[in-house]
Parts: sequence; C-alpha cells; structure tokens
Amino acid sequence: MLLDFLADWLVGIYNFRIVAHYLDEFARGLANTLAAAGASLILSVALGTLVAGARLSGTRFLTWPAEAYVQAIRSTPLLLQIYIVYFGLPLLFPAALRWPELWLGIVALTIHTAPYMAEIIRSGIQSVERGQIEGAMAVGMTFLQRARHVVLPQAFANTLPALLGQTAILVKDTSLLSLITVFDVVAAGMLLNSERIRPGEGFLTVAAIYLTIYLILLVLSQRVQRTLAGKAWNRNPA
Amino acid sequence: MIEHYSEVLRSVLPFLLTGFVETLRISLLGVAGGSVLGFLLGVVRGQNFRYATTLIGGYLHLLRGTPFLVQLYVIYFVLPGTGIPWLMWDSMTASLLSLSIYTSSYVTEIVSGAIRAVPRGQWEGAFALGMRRVQTLRHIILPQAAALILPSLGGVYVNLIKATSIVSVVGISELTREGENAILRYPGDILFIYGVVALIYFCYCFPVLKFVDWLESRSRQNVSRGRATAEPSP
Repeated sequence: MLLDFLADWLVGIYNFRIVAHYLDEFARGLANTLAAAGASLILSVALGTLVAGARLSGTRFLTWPAEAYVQAIRSTPLLLQIYIVYFGLPLLFPAALRWPELWLGIVALTIHTAPYMAEIIRSGIQSVERGQIEGAMAVGMTFLQRARHVVLPQAFANTLPALLGQTAILVKDTSLLSLITVFDVVAAGMLLNSERIRPGEGFLTVAAIYLTIYLILLVLSQRVQRTLAGKAWNRNPA
Repeated sequence: MIEHYSEVLRSVLPFLLTGFVETLRISLLGVAGGSVLGFLLGVVRGQNFRYATTLIGGYLHLLRGTPFLVQLYVIYFVLPGTGIPWLMWDSMTASLLSLSIYTSSYVTEIVSGAIRAVPRGQWEGAFALGMRRVQTLRHIILPQAAALILPSLGGVYVNLIKATSIVSVVGISELTREGENAILRYPGDILFIYGVVALIYFCYCFPVLKFVDWLESRSRQNVSRGRATAEPSP
C-alpha cells in the first residue's frame, strides 16, 4: 500500500518510458556536448601554451597583454563572454555570420578556458626542478632535446591531474551553450520538458548524463595518477 | 559617434546599476547561505565520522559533477513538481537556494581540508587536557584552520558572483538580465552594452581577486618564515 504509493509518486516525477522516446535527441545532444568540449579542450591547450609562454617570456610587450587578457577573463562571467562572442564575432568578422552556433560556442569556451590552461601549463613547467635542466645541459642536450626528453614529459605528468580537473569543468561549462541555441544535452532536456511538460524526465536525465561524464573523468584521473605517469610522477610538485 | 554612445550610456546606465545592486544582493545572500551550509558540512567532514564522510562525499560529487545551470533547472523546475508543498518556491528562492548549495560544495571542501591540515597532536593534546570535542574545535582547531580557510573563501566568492549571471535565465533581474533588456531598446549597440556590463562585473570581481592574491601571498610568506599558526606535523 505504502510502497505502491511511493512507486506512483516516483514514476510521477521520473518515468523512464518518456525518456526512451527521446533517446535520439539525448544522443544528438551528447554528441554536440562532447564535440564542443573536445574541440575547446584542444584549442584552449594550444592558446593556453601561447599565453603561458607570453607570461614567462619576460618581455613587457608580451607579458602585459597576456596579463590583461587573463585578468579580464577571470573577472567576468562565462555567460557574458559567450554572449559577447556570439553577438560580437559576426560583427567583427562577417564570415562568422554563416558559422553554426556550435563553432561560436567553441570559440567562446576556448577564449574562456585558455587562461586557466595557461596557469596549469606554467605551474607544470615550473614544477620541473632546475637540476634536471642543468643535468640535461651537462650531458650536452640542445634546447629542443631538453624540452622533448626532460622538461615536457615531467611537466605533462605533473599537470595531468589538474588538466583532467579543468576538462571536467569545461564539460560542465558547455551547458551554457544551450543558451545560444546549441543543441547540447541541456537543450535535449529542455526539448523534452517543453514538449511533454515533464521537468523531472528532462532535467534529471541531463544531470545523470553530466554526472556520468564527471565520474568517468574522475576514475580516469585517479588511474592516471597511479599508472600512466609512472616514475616521472613527482609526488610533491614545487 | 561619441555623442551616440554617451546618450545610450546615459539612458541605460540607471537600469544596469539597478541590476548590479540586485547582483550584489544575490551574491551576498548566496555567499552567506553557502558559507553557513558549507561550514557545517565541512566541520563534520573534517573529523572522519563513519557514515557522514561518505554521505557528504556523495553530496560533493553530485554538485561537482553537474553544471550550475542544470542544478538551477532541477531546483526551479523539478522540485516544485514533486507535489511537496514547501518545495513549491518562486524563482528568487530557487535561485538563492541553488547558489547557496553550489557555493557550499566549495566551502565544505576548503573547511574540511583546513581542519585535516591541523596536526593530530593538537586534538590529542586538547583531549588529554580533558576538553570535549566541541571545545577542542572551538578553541584549538578552528582558530588554526581559519588562517587556511579565509584566503580560499575569496576565490569561492568570485566564482559565486560569476555564477549569479546564470540565474538571469529564470527571470531574476540582475545585471546580465538588465543588459539584455537594454539591448532590446538599443539593438544596434549590443557589443557596447555588453561591454559596459562586463566592465561592471570586472569592477566588482577584480578587487576581490586581487585581495585574494594578496592574502594568499601573505599566508605563503608566513609559512616560509615559519610563522604559520599550524605547525608541521613531526
């Protein structure tokens, strides 16, 4: 009796049969979410490396603009940055008018994430001990050899956990792209909600999808810390 | 050109400032709610009680694993639909609640981390003197943990301010929303108006961030000079 009541109540909030009708939409949304996150991840690591290089360069013409860029991004909301790119980029580059919203979203997420990536990369490079570089010099390695065989492998191992953490944040940040009409996971949930007026099925499914991605990244990050980094893993990065 | 912009600015700025006051109010209420909730959970989590640590850990993963936008939608759309009368709140209550819960996940982590950073010997010493758990927390542990908690809270506060822009989507007239309204009146000046909005956010967040940086560098100096309140464990 009480169990029946509870079961009815739960199905009243979340009925999987309704979600089953929308599996295609959720799959399409998930594909867009992963595409946005993946593309922004690669682009923001590339841009972040440039920013980190500029900040470490010691030339005022490079450090100053990089610093201003980092502070501007850190001090304004992502939603506003997305709106500014979405409405502003087509005004500056008319070619962007014909771009799909997803591309504009990727540009905005890249601009937003690059400073955080730059900080991770900078601390990764600085976490490699000076003695390692001096040792490499002593055996006659060139700058490129030192970077490739000594500095970058260790810096990469030291930064992987932070990089994965930032990736988890990036995946969550893609949810805001639904507000510039990108059809991501949240938009799929919105569609279900507006067609069936079932917020439970719509948004709890969305939350479950994001949680699954997050848990996969979490497990991956713990695995990486234990195995992939191997002996290069420095337990107390400077 | 300049005349046009100054005219737009003059007619739009009062609304933007009203929106900013709302952003200020929401962020202060959110930081208050989030700090209280996060502090309570953090104090419990910092002491390794058997079930509480797992339970709070699950709560943290739930909040860390989902975007704030989705948390807001769940609290605003799903919970009132459960049929429980006291969950049928308006958009303002839902916004403040979701901001507080979102903030609490960060505060919990900071507080429990700071409590765990205080060496075990401090607990044992206090217990040896016959102090009870609450007394130990209040007189021995928390004063030492505070030095670690306060600088990190500033960063959480900036995150919260930035998150308040998202509650504009459930119809709260804060700064971002007022900016959108202004754009409805001057559709040709989208970039200019969003630029002004961004500048207002910047003026609010940047000083807080600088203050946090200063606090952090100061506490780092204290640690390197050996003046930290929490002594390193043997």
